Amino acid sequence: MTLYADSEYPVREDLDVIHTKQIDQLAEPGTWGTGAQRLAIANEVRQACYDAGTQEKPKEAGPVSNIELPEAARNMVRKLAVSPKDFLEDSYQEAKKGDLSDEEYVEIVGIVSRVTNMDVFARGIGVDLRALPAARTGEPSRERPGVAKPEQAWVPTIPNLPEGGDIAAELYGEGHKTYIVRGVSLVPDELRMHMELEEIQYLPLQHIMVADYQHHEGFSRAQSEIVAGRVSALNECFF
Amino acid sequence: MPGGKEILVFSGAVIGSDRAALDKARLDLAEAVGPAAVPAAAAIAANFTKNDRIANGCGIPSEPMMLKATKDIRADLGLNDFRSAVNTFRHFPDER
Repeated sequence: MTLYADSEYPVREDLDVIHTKQIDQLAEPGTWGTGAQRLAIANEVRQACYDAGTQEKPKEAGPVSNIELPEAARNMVRKLAVSPKDFLEDSYQEAKKGDLSDEEYVEIVGIVSRVTNMDVFARGIGVDLRALPAARTGEPSRERPGVAKPEQAWVPTIPNLPEGGDIAAELYGEGHKTYIVRGVSLVPDELRMHMELEEIQYLPLQHIMVADYQHHEGFSRAQSEIVAGRVSALNECFF
Repeated sequence: MPGGKEILVFSGAVIGSDRAALDKARLDLAEAVGPAAVPAAAAIAANFTKNDRIANGCGIPSEPMMLKATKDIRADLGLNDFRSAVNTFRHFPDER
């Protein structure tokens, strides 16, 4: 049984596998949050979207976390989930004043972004949001990459090679990487999962400069760029 | 472009709040481009909802090389007026 077996439209197998894995991983302790905290964030994303009318509550939503998020986390989750165009530096500063560390903040940004991603996909193909799992026990790893430092984002990032060292080589591979790749590098696991989705849903990055590279069957690169541009314009994403 | 109108409508509807409009846009897209276009367009729309949140949530700037290459189109489309543009222009004020 695959995750999107109920879809009327053909879903590529590699996408199904990655979404299955990433939804399940929300239940595990992350780098800075426990499984229960991470699922509380995912539930808050969904509740904010139900409230805004941009998602519909599914018949089977999965267990609801009994964790109450701190107000600073709850506010940033809700704003980033439903109104990314209004998410400015004051939103980040409010989160910091609410005692969220940069590391916790980046993990939350990653979770909000990935949950929104998987939920928009489900809605796009016309199936219910997939059920969230029950939290599993365990402690976060709390591993901060030592080379991460303030660059040009609000949050510290791992520099490109050679300054970024071994972890940059592992995360980025060869060549200069832009901030859309490096933005969440303060939490390397979030970067890995962000890029895993990127390569399945958009295209493998080694082909990004090949103008006519086609990643999705029956959908050209030009058609793909229309979708990307339209969504990013509506979200007022300058990047 | 084949299905250009249907792709644009679906791209807006999938992140909008009108479910009936989305359901119609999905059917129209499948009819105009083919059934495989629906999961493809949904995957790309979803991916960029992720990227937009990472970009705006982390306050990242665009790179100078990209800014130089897009100066005219940014002006034509009003992209410099996006509020998130401040994350770029605070580092590269001369590239507006």
